[in-house]
Amino acid sequence: MSTVLETPARAVGPTHPPRPWAAVFALARFEARELRMTVSFAAITVLYVAWIVWQVMERQGDYPILQDVDRGTQAMPILMALSVMLGVNRAVLRSRRCDTDRHFGVLAVEPWRRTVAHVLSVVPAVLFTAVCVTVQFTCAALKPGAAGHGSPAELAVGPLTVLLAGAVGVLLARLVPSVTAVPLFLVVLLFGQVFVAAPSDSDWSTWLGPVVTESTAGPFPSDLLGRPAAWHALYLVGLVLLMALLAVLVSGGRTGVVKAAVGGALALTLVGAVGQSGGTPAATTAARERMSTTPEKFRSCLQHGRSSYCAFPEWTGRTADWAAVVDRVQNLAGGRAGGERLTVEQRIDARYGLDSDAALAPSTEPGHVTIGTGWGGNRVPEFAAVVASVLVAGDEKAGSELCDARLVTVMWLALGGESDPMSALRDVRIDDNVSGSSLVLSPTEPFVMSAEQTRIVAELLQRPRYSVAGKVKAKWTELTSPRTSIARVAQLLGVPVSTASDAADSDSADSDGDSCER
Amino acid sequence: MSDLLPAPTVSAAGLTLRYGRTAALDDVSLRLGEGVTGLLGPNGAGKTTLLRVLATAVPPDRGAFSVLGHDPGTSAGRQEVRRVLGYLPQTPGFHPDFSAFEFVDYVAILKELTDRTARHREVRRVLDAVALSDVRGRRLKKLSGGMRQRVALAAALVGDPGFLVLDEPTVGLDPEQRMRFRELIARAGEGRTVLLSTHQTEDVAMLCHRVIVMAGGRVRFEGTPAELAARAAGRVWSSTERDPGAWAGWRTGTGSFRNVGDPPEGADLLEPTLEDGYLLTLDGESSEVRAA
Repeated sequence: MSTVLETPARAVGPTHPPRPWAAVFALARFEARELRMTVSFAAITVLYVAWIVWQVMERQGDYPILQDVDRGTQAMPILMALSVMLGVNRAVLRSRRCDTDRHFGVLAVEPWRRTVAHVLSVVPAVLFTAVCVTVQFTCAALKPGAAGHGSPAELAVGPLTVLLAGAVGVLLARLVPSVTAVPLFLVVLLFGQVFVAAPSDSDWSTWLGPVVTESTAGPFPSDLLGRPAAWHALYLVGLVLLMALLAVLVSGGRTGVVKAAVGGALALTLVGAVGQSGGTPAATTAARERMSTTPEKFRSCLQHGRSSYCAFPEWTGRTADWAAVVDRVQNLAGGRAGGERLTVEQRIDARYGLDSDAALAPSTEPGHVTIGTGWGGNRVPEFAAVVASVLVAGDEKAGSELCDARLVTVMWLALGGESDPMSALRDVRIDDNVSGSSLVLSPTEPFVMSAEQTRIVAELLQRPRYSVAGKVKAKWTELTSPRTSIARVAQLLGVPVSTASDAADSDSADSDGDSCER
Repeated sequence: MSDLLPAPTVSAAGLTLRYGRTAALDDVSLRLGEGVTGLLGPNGAGKTTLLRVLATAVPPDRGAFSVLGHDPGTSAGRQEVRRVLGYLPQTPGFHPDFSAFEFVDYVAILKELTDRTARHREVRRVLDAVALSDVRGRRLKKLSGGMRQRVALAAALVGDPGFLVLDEPTVGLDPEQRMRFRELIARAGEGRTVLLSTHQTEDVAMLCHRVIVMAGGRVRFEGTPAELAARAAGRVWSSTERDPGAWAGWRTGTGSFRNVGDPPEGADLLEPTLEDGYLLTLDGESSEVRAA
């Protein structure tokens, strides 16, 4: 038999003069495509995109604080990093696994250049992560009520983590030619983090990991965060270079330039590590103290209608939203309360660190209302409740101690203007329930609602607003008197009186009607 | 040594390589020119070691060689040799999840074919040359052994290497595939230097214009296939029983014995073949030949 071969096309040889770096980039493109084709990478990509879409669509994410959002971009890249580390490690080991080492070992692109190509092959994944981070942050920044400032260094952590994972994956493959190396490395890392180091948030070793999530009690001004984000980014850059260059060195790229670069990368890593390990700077601690104890020195006040709104610089854009809530509550109030001049003051308590959840003490100044740094969701009815309590009781301190029949009026004022008052009632109570006794959250101290007060408020909230508003305005003086019983309030507002009202009144009378058990 | 050798493109002098006490290569010198040169020898003769040295996979302990004017003794020279080299190892590995096209493309990149369009055209050309165009998108794990071997040959051919090193490429192939391979190798030998290691004397007879016989790490013969066959002239005879004086002999299909060695007087002499010459060249040093 014979095989007829057609006249072949003209052969193509390597370019002259040789362009070894062009081959490295071509190989990096090839490997990047292979990396993209792995199941884990595809799954993480879909998950990542879906997560961002969910983040963008989610209502709870309205009124974002950008100095928290930037850190929020660092979680998902960890999954991407794991996928990249596993994928690139397998890619480096492919030749060994498939016994093509002997063949490829005599081809023009030397092993150390192939190592460089493998490191570069993760760049598209890094860019994809950077795009995701940018989209996530930009969408948050464009949301209504976005406040604060994002840190470019914090935003860089996610992509740098992916790049670092790629470099570590390559280095591990060059050091330990087994696909079990990466899973074992991750287990050891996890073990070390959980059982050996167990660092606290203030521990310098916390910052040795790529992503450092710190729990804070709430949003704080960006100046008070005290995170060494820039140092950490520098540390990560150094670490990426160090891992990549060590992999090149192990692969045979033992030139003086590579060795010198390893030294440079090590120095960069150490500089970053030392820079980030200093803990919270004394100036930041002092600023936290000052901003907690003398917030008036940092706030600027804006006038909306009758009232004044004093906010920290990054929150001044939200005063209009606060004013809308104050107006809504005052519109339902009767007597002089409807026209009272209030002073809404933003406060924080960062004296004991950012993870301390110490409650803000209620103000004793008449007409002064405290607001925190969070907004949107449950924070809105919580603020409305404290506004209503000040309108009824005169000041926050007195309002927070209400437990008599006036609390019915306070809660109706706070929630009566909501588009879905019953949901707002559920949200503002700590037990997420609309019956029984419970705590009602507020920017300062919570209120205690008895079961009977809850019953009456729930009944009122299900009625047309205008019908209740008329009665509230007409009977304002009696409704806001500490001597008015719950049964009488129910009667004034047209809610059937139950035996529980009488019992509640007798309980209230036993405790003089001016203090509550919490 | 024959004078018919074209201008040498590959030459080696005094190549020596030892693995412990064993001399895998022992003062090997040779010259190769354009066309296909066969490398014959029993197992352990040092064929694969010689190919690996010439392919720059392992450096020799002693000796020097040059490939197309490049000296692999220096780092830069070794790199230049690799740029003109096509190498098909004895048992080539494959990336099973790659398609035939991807695998050859990958090798092409490692050969520094950097222009994507030109490289893809070249990959299609070599796959076409080994008659695998129809299955170029199929994953290697789905291809037969013969097809995979052709993919490996395509990978060796990609980039138009000036020096092609093929280590027993026809092992494990059925006769049809072997014939196809011979045609491919013959074509590959046009205008380039091909060194073909093989156990098959038929391969050498059909393909090679020159042949080198190795045994015990040394070159025992270097010349044309006809010269190798001529070595057995007057030293091959037929007998009804195995001749104890022959150092190699075997029963043929007709029932008579074909003997190689020093024939007795009056022996029925036979026309020598390449294989006879090869066996005589080994001169009884190979245990395999003795066993025969």
